[in-house]
Amino acid sequence: MEELSAHSGPQMTFDVATNGERTVVTISGELDIANVDGLDAAVAPVIEMHPNRLVVDVGGLRFADSSAIALWVRWSATVGDIEFRDASPLLRRVITSMGLEGKFRLTP
Amino acid sequence: MHRPAGARMRAPGPYDRTHPPGRVIDRAGTPGLRISSSALTSQQKPCQSYARFAGAGRGPLWGHGVQSGALESLQSLLAPTIWASRALPFRGVIEASKLEEEVEVASIDPGEGPPAPGDDEAASPTREAVAHERWPYWAAVAILVVGLLVTGILTWVSAAQYNQNEKRLLQLRVKEVAAVLAEAQPATDTPLASAAALVDATNGNVHKFTHFATPYIGSGQGHFPSISLWQPGGARPVATVGAPSALSASPSTARAFIARAAGSPTLSIIGLQPSSPTRLGYAYPTATRRFIIYAERPLPADRRSRLQSNSAFSDLDYAIYLGRSVTPGQLLVTSVSKAPLRGEQAKTKVPFGNTVLTLVVSPRESLAGTLPQRLPWIIAIGGVILTLGATALTVRLVERRRSAEHLAGRLDHALSENQRLYAEQRTIAQTLQHALLPEELPVIAGAEASALFEPGERGVEIGGDWYDVIPLDDQRLLVVVGDVSGRGLRAAATMASLRYAIHAYAAQNDPPAAILTKLSRILSATETGQIATVLCAVVDLGSRQVTVATAGHLPPLLISDGHGEYVDGEIGVPIGAQAGAAYKSITVPAPPSATLLAFTDGLVERRGEELDRGLERLRTAATADHQGLPELLGTLVAELRHGPSEDDTAIVGLRWKN
Repeated sequence: MEELSAHSGPQMTFDVATNGERTVVTISGELDIANVDGLDAAVAPVIEMHPNRLVVDVGGLRFADSSAIALWVRWSATVGDIEFRDASPLLRRVITSMGLEGKFRLTP
Repeated sequence: MHRPAGARMRAPGPYDRTHPPGRVIDRAGTPGLRISSSALTSQQKPCQSYARFAGAGRGPLWGHGVQSGALESLQSLLAPTIWASRALPFRGVIEASKLEEEVEVASIDPGEGPPAPGDDEAASPTREAVAHERWPYWAAVAILVVGLLVTGILTWVSAAQYNQNEKRLLQLRVKEVAAVLAEAQPATDTPLASAAALVDATNGNVHKFTHFATPYIGSGQGHFPSISLWQPGGARPVATVGAPSALSASPSTARAFIARAAGSPTLSIIGLQPSSPTRLGYAYPTATRRFIIYAERPLPADRRSRLQSNSAFSDLDYAIYLGRSVTPGQLLVTSVSKAPLRGEQAKTKVPFGNTVLTLVVSPRESLAGTLPQRLPWIIAIGGVILTLGATALTVRLVERRRSAEHLAGRLDHALSENQRLYAEQRTIAQTLQHALLPEELPVIAGAEASALFEPGERGVEIGGDWYDVIPLDDQRLLVVVGDVSGRGLRAAATMASLRYAIHAYAAQNDPPAAILTKLSRILSATETGQIATVLCAVVDLGSRQVTVATAGHLPPLLISDGHGEYVDGEIGVPIGAQAGAAYKSITVPAPPSATLLAFTDGLVERRGEELDRGLERLRTAATADHQGLPELLGTLVAELRHGPSEDDTAIVGLRWKN
């Protein structure tokens, strides 16, 4: 049963705010395959409507797996400008290790 | 449960049945079987296969030249997909923990096994239910019976107590009434006694008698309609005041009565039926017995006299009879419309002259009050309500317990069924995973290749990690490691398509960077939501050079002479991020006896830890070890994956032979 409960995934919270011009998604906790779909379901309609500029505030994000990266790659293909704000050194390293620092604009 | 695909194929159905599902789950948490297949130098044929049962090892069991039947079973158990060649004699290292058990399980005849888990689980709750089957409502019935019994007894006791109390009270009341009645008698006696004394004193002076008696004539209280003076033996009165007496209408009766009255020391009473209304006659002899004072008083019409509602006896009905017998003819007066009295009654006798009055009373209402009267009913009704309530509650509890038990049984069943399905899914997923990995690694002169795949403890879903070693020509190999994001069949399908696409591009002799650019056109994160990190390394055994290109994948580690270096070239975007992305490759020389390790992130990544620390850990572990390549891979996976890792891990190693 341990393995079954592992599917419930770690804690992740997020917040989506948009003013039409700019959408800010704030994610904290651990983002992985277990909860990435929930985040996508909430954010996808918003960036579909306001695809100009997306700011992903990952200051509170402790972990992101390849599913999270895949989601962000998809977002970056949808919006004109995607910016990752306040990424931790760990996350920056993950992004650079995947050769995505050119696609994801990392800002302090 | 890290069992090779071959095990399932060897003993498909019966294997599952002999293993209870729960046991498979239990074992999932323990290190299981890891498989690596190694391709050795062509000089070392026959090909050496390597199997390792990790976990609680009982020490190495050298299988070199072992001919035992158990080993043959194991060989065929593990055989079809992983091993380089089934036809070749089995040689290798076995660290066995559950070896005997596995073999034993696999050899069990399906017909002799215990019943299939499905049957067993379906049957066992029923058996339990039968064993516990007792009519469940007996408690409710017992409560109903006992409750009604207790209620009945209490009601009976209360009613008996009440009735006894009422009787006692009625006895007291009848005595009170009798006392009052007795008190009233002097009012009758006194005028007659006074008249008698006067008659004696005046020696029968009629004038004096008339004068004395006249004030007592009337119909009011203490008055008589008729008072007369008699002499014993006379059939007629000497004198009469008021109306003529009814007694004088019957001379013989009069003579007899007067004679009897003369002999009696006290008041004599006679009831006179014929007159209308019926009268009561009182005869009082004088002290000398020479004269008799006789008076009459009419009884009330229909003998009825109601008590006033404010009377002390308004709660009683009464009947007063003259004499000792209670007969209608002797009834003097009653409060009811039709004598005799009915219901509970009490009788007493009150002396009245030379005779008695018989007083009968019965209560008009409860003497003790309303509450004691209603108490038995209250107890009965309350008891029945309580009993029925308790019974209903018990029935409800019994039903709820039964439904809870039923539900628990079903949940149990569902749970074990889930566990069975879960175990089955895991097995299927792992079988599929192994099927998608290379069946065998190529055998190339001058190098040894080995690979190891360790599934994550992530439940039933198949992962997207893979490895490949593709011979390009006699001198060159393409080493590939990749990781498709996500899990499940979609990840597996994408992995398979990427893997076979790489085979196709390799066949076209594309360099690593070109392979990645072509790959980037067949996967789009926008369409499928997936990305894949891929590492392609061309190893040239002739020129001792390695050319590496990576699409978002971790760099390979190149180890030589106890010194490890990551081949850090320019990292391109993952496959799926950008169609037609350009990739750059880096070429580094490979010293003699160098080892190239390519791996997926499961080997080095830990949550909350800097990636470089994981890479450094790998470098340290890989350079400290001088064992053979398959053992090195096993050691690295065992050491670097801490705890039950969620992520799959694939690692492929290539070692140059001098």
